[in-house]
Amino acid sequence: MTAATATVVPATPTAANGHHLTFGRILRSEWIKFISLRSTVWVAIVTVAVMVGFSLLMGFGMTQIVQNPEAMGGEASLGGTGTVIGTSVAATGYYFGQIVVAVLGVLIITGEYSTGQIKSTLTAVPTRLPVMAAKGAIVALTSFVLGAVGVAISVLVTTPMLSTYDLQVDLSDSASLQSLLGVPLYMTAIALFAFGIGTLLRHAAAGIAAVLGMLLLLPILGTIQVQWIQDISPYLLGAAGERIITGEQVGAVLTPWEGFGVLMIWVVAALVAAAVLLRRRDA
Amino acid sequence: MIEAHGLTKKYGDKTAVNDISFTVNPGRVTGFLGPNGAGKSTTMRMIVGLDRPTHGSVTVNGKPYVQHKAPLREVGALLEAKAVHSGRSATNHLRGLAATHGISKARVQEVIDMTGLAAVAGKRVGGFSLGMGQRLGIAAAMLGDPRTLILDEPVNGLDPEGVKWVRTMVRYLADEGRTVFLSSHLMSEMAITADELIVIGRGRIITAGAVQDVIDAVTKSSVRVRSPQAEDLVSRLQGADVTVTSVEPSLLEVHGLSAQQIGEAAAAGGFVLHELTPLRASLEEAYMTLTADDVEYHSHGAGEETAPAVVAETEGANR
Repeated sequence: MTAATATVVPATPTAANGHHLTFGRILRSEWIKFISLRSTVWVAIVTVAVMVGFSLLMGFGMTQIVQNPEAMGGEASLGGTGTVIGTSVAATGYYFGQIVVAVLGVLIITGEYSTGQIKSTLTAVPTRLPVMAAKGAIVALTSFVLGAVGVAISVLVTTPMLSTYDLQVDLSDSASLQSLLGVPLYMTAIALFAFGIGTLLRHAAAGIAAVLGMLLLLPILGTIQVQWIQDISPYLLGAAGERIITGEQVGAVLTPWEGFGVLMIWVVAALVAAAVLLRRRDA
Repeated sequence: MIEAHGLTKKYGDKTAVNDISFTVNPGRVTGFLGPNGAGKSTTMRMIVGLDRPTHGSVTVNGKPYVQHKAPLREVGALLEAKAVHSGRSATNHLRGLAATHGISKARVQEVIDMTGLAAVAGKRVGGFSLGMGQRLGIAAAMLGDPRTLILDEPVNGLDPEGVKWVRTMVRYLADEGRTVFLSSHLMSEMAITADELIVIGRGRIITAGAVQDVIDAVTKSSVRVRSPQAEDLVSRLQGADVTVTSVEPSLLEVHGLSAQQIGEAAAAGGFVLHELTPLRASLEEAYMTLTADDVEYHSHGAGEETAPAVVAETEGANR
């Protein structure tokens, strides 16, 4: 570094005096760290884009079915009418959005372990848990906002094409609103679960593989016709959590809010285990 | 002030730090010297609470580090070059750290200027050289204007100008009354930079004290004497604590007598001297002597035999 013309004598510090750690300051620190990474911007763009994109695709598919009922196998294949269709179209992006926010949740902590940043972070905040709380708050807030924005834009852009066939979302229908609100809620919970798993495993690839494995592979279990697997499958991470989005269904084991409650048990379990180990382990 | 009592760290069966106790006092630069793998970094990590001691305890300014309300103002630590997310700029890294303690942007700019990083502060840290990473680590350590500085191999990767800057800086900080604790595996570096030494090998403290005392304790001085009458001179010089080695027919190496004593003895006997040179074992040799049995990773084979051959430096090489 030839450009360095370092001052030999440290200048008298101007404003390092009188300040100590507070949770608000730690939260601010984590926010600065979060928004100063390019990947954050990309996650935001990609989340909203994939949610809206798949919603548009599904909406277009619905209009095709309506226009060509014979070719597509008749009216019954819509699986519902009116606002039910509109809601499922607008909410469909959650399935893809959850993957992006899950990766975000894992990376916000494992990125620190892989680069060595964690040593700086935990030296500044040696009690450690406030760091985890601040990161968790940021993951939750970001995921909720992205989920809400994604679903709102999805409603806006699909309504024109669906309203032609009277399939648009009816925002005065409480069941539809619950499903739409369920998207950001579900995505927030999944991102927090991923954050917990990332904190436990401290390794990006392992964390992402574990979380996506649970989200995408465990549902396949539900197709296996073995009684005990059938018994537990409604309580698995994704299956339980999705109930808040899929809404009231005949024959469902869990009601929407029960399902969300089960998801939150998964989330809390992951976060508590992560917090205990974060405190106990060497950084 | 750093005080360690019976500090021990085991990783499984392996003991990295074995029951060490020491005190690092303010107003002094204290060097932590030892070969690679001796336990220096582990000890420093335990001081700032990154690693949990298996036994024992360590306090900084009277309290365990974790109990301080403003840790960055108590201790500035450089533990590893580039303990930084590679995707973030130097400025943003420092701003993030500063925010935890409500330290101002002005102070962030100050440490950037102080460490000579102004030209690259906006660039992502991933592209930094080792030396730039080291400067950023020092900038981060200085953020809170801490009373105690812990620097693990601070000159590692720095260019000569940077090395000189670190030496001057730690001296200045110690003179201000701060506690400065820095590690190195180079005795020569420590001899220039430190006032006090703690020498560690295989997780145990081998010796500690003022730098010169540590060096003197392990440095055997000798005198090289060249004389055409060397053989006769030998009998003249022999005594209880004196060993004389004949290196060549006309060349002697004398342990246990000063150059002055030898010169006077030669004059009294009427011997001609062609050379009378006080020799000191080099610092590195002294260090090798200290840690010979405590090096974790020995290199075998080539070079091992040649090492102690002629390791002679004249007086004054220490400072």
